[in-house]
Amino acid sequence: MGSRNAKILIGLVVLCLVGGGVYVAIAATGPSPTETNVRPVATEVLARTDLLVRAVDPKKPTLNGGVYELDDGKLRHDGDLSCERVYYAAGHGICMGVAPSGVDYTATIFNDRLEGEATISLNGLPSRARVSADGRYGAMTVFVTGDSYLASSTAFSTRTYVVDMASGNVLAQLEEFEVSKDGKPFDSVDFNFWGMTFDPADSDRFYATLGTGDHHYLVEGDIAAREMRVLRDGVECPSLSPDGSRIAFKARIPGTNRWRLRVLDLATLEEHPVVERRSIDDQVEWLDEDTLAYSDGVDVFTVPADGSGEPEVLVRDATSPVRLSAPLASAGEQRG
Amino acid sequence: MYQVEASKALLKPRLWFRRPESLRVSRNVLMLGFTSMLTDISSEMVATILPLYLVFSLGASPLALGAIDGTYRGAAAVVQVLAGFASDRWRRHKQVAESGYGLSAFSKVALVAAGNSIGGIGAIVAFDRIGKGIRTAPRDALISLSSTKDNLATSFGVHRALDSAGAMLGPLVSFGILLAAPARFDAVFVVSTLFAFLGLAVLVLTVQGKPWRAPREGAPPSLRKAAGLLRDPRFSLLLIAAVVLSMASVSDALIYVGLQRKIDFEPAVFPLLYVVTAVVFMALAIPVGRLADRVGRVPVLLGGFALLFVVYAALMLNSLGYFGLIISLAALGGYFAASEGVLTAIAGAVLPEDLQASGIGILITVVSIGNLVSSLAFGALWLAIGLQQAVIVFVVALAAALAVAAPLLLRAQRSAQYG
Repeated sequence: MGSRNAKILIGLVVLCLVGGGVYVAIAATGPSPTETNVRPVATEVLARTDLLVRAVDPKKPTLNGGVYELDDGKLRHDGDLSCERVYYAAGHGICMGVAPSGVDYTATIFNDRLEGEATISLNGLPSRARVSADGRYGAMTVFVTGDSYLASSTAFSTRTYVVDMASGNVLAQLEEFEVSKDGKPFDSVDFNFWGMTFDPADSDRFYATLGTGDHHYLVEGDIAAREMRVLRDGVECPSLSPDGSRIAFKARIPGTNRWRLRVLDLATLEEHPVVERRSIDDQVEWLDEDTLAYSDGVDVFTVPADGSGEPEVLVRDATSPVRLSAPLASAGEQRG
Repeated sequence: MYQVEASKALLKPRLWFRRPESLRVSRNVLMLGFTSMLTDISSEMVATILPLYLVFSLGASPLALGAIDGTYRGAAAVVQVLAGFASDRWRRHKQVAESGYGLSAFSKVALVAAGNSIGGIGAIVAFDRIGKGIRTAPRDALISLSSTKDNLATSFGVHRALDSAGAMLGPLVSFGILLAAPARFDAVFVVSTLFAFLGLAVLVLTVQGKPWRAPREGAPPSLRKAAGLLRDPRFSLLLIAAVVLSMASVSDALIYVGLQRKIDFEPAVFPLLYVVTAVVFMALAIPVGRLADRVGRVPVLLGGFALLFVVYAALMLNSLGYFGLIISLAALGGYFAASEGVLTAIAGAVLPEDLQASGIGILITVVSIGNLVSSLAFGALWLAIGLQQAVIVFVVALAAALAVAAPLLLRAQRSAQYG
């Protein structure tokens, strides 16, 4: 190395250290996009008081959105709970989002005062969250993307975890369960599971999606027995109705990453579309026996489950709608 | 200047080793290692945060990531052979490597300037990978040409250790920046760009571009002569052995998927699988290279592939405790250290001086095709007969591959030494 080249190199190293350091320092002292204490502009809200949503201010997009309770047509934001995907039932909730570092993902297990009680580190992007009606089990789906070490990025995949909501411990990963199809064991390296939904009458029983090859199977499973069986193809992100008789799901338009919402009757195995003409990538929530709620990624909509009517906006600038079967403790205190 | 030199005295009194003339690596190799380290820091900084950035800042569907990952892979393979031949033809390995490192560095600038559409990011990532494809063969040829016959594997070991150190440091740098400045992805991109240009600067300013020992005479190698490598008895033996071995080795990605099914643990532990393997790889790359130069590269390479038996055994067990997991990850790291770099060193010894980059380009491409075949076969077997049976098939295949490859490699190397 000529001494001239060595000097140039040392100069460049110093320049880069100073330049990079200054840039990071300025970024570190500036406003952070992860702060979530901004109220969303909820322009249209139906007068319901039984809903929890994740909402953001569209003018100040943030990584995580605040968790809001609908209260007499207004959104109320109590506490600091913020995330990408939320679900709640019977005193136990899951809030999956970006960790404060901005580089990791965590799930917060929260109580009926929207207070965090436990956190679970996630190894991928939050996707779906569910809690069984009795509050016993939670389900979380994450997208696991290329692992960067050794440039050996694994193919894109999903993982679904079952959580014991009382302790906040991960009980199982669905890939550990035995799967059967037509009465025979069924396994493949490309198995991916996503979108669990729990039986309202028996929280050990669940439905979920098994993706393998070009197939997206509806599977029926049992947590205690750690097994699943394939029911039928073409069903993603199932959601059981409150009476457990029907499944709302997204049906892929073949060969695309676009979906239509449909409803399957479990007794007759007949299915029908709902009146939503856009592609929806969400796990639907049943507001009651007749009404579905879902997000198009921007707003929360409702549509009748029987295929009649038209979609209507329920909450602007919100995602992740959750039906509350009882008011939250915090809301009750403040109203009382 | 480098610790290998300083610690050489410690290793002297080993009677069963052939005393090599020199185990020092040249400054060129060291500087190429630092170039790769800085470039890898830059690339891995971005790779670590790209999914998060795409989904949360750009609102992209995670499914779009799968498509981007696909472009990653196809793009690099095509240009490897061409870039290798071009650098031999023009006798400008350094300049071709510079263009590859430069392309990747400028793709980082594009990320800072215009990285707000998913299509744009896909294109930028593809350019980064094409840059990687361009630089690999001429860079490995430079390492080989900057080494003596006695320290070839050590040179590749030093380079691979620095390279994997960069891959380990990159995510940590990103993490550090985002810890200080939450969610400021622009800061990560800016710092990544600086690392990329520093890597390029080390290459441009410190690497000697024409390290060959004898002055080059006669016409530059023609395409016909490069294609003739495939008929060269020594190199074709090596290629056959490399294909056979790569087809019998399950890809690391599938190994991780398999291992994850054998153990019950918190999802947060998963990234540690890669960390443990990478640390072992980094720590062993240089000692394994030295060992290969002393006791012979072929036995070390075969030993490295034999370590896969340990990993396969772990995949066949019903469940794996933490101890078993550590053993199998260590074996996997040892396999990394004793396989790719040592194989390239063997190729460096076998190939004629004026066709080093062409030959290495062909070798890399052939190995990646072999890996693709093994991945498809392993996936199909897993589906058809289950994981355990699929692993049994691969145990048999690996044993057969080692039996086939050993005589081929020994013959290829013997004729390299005496022919």
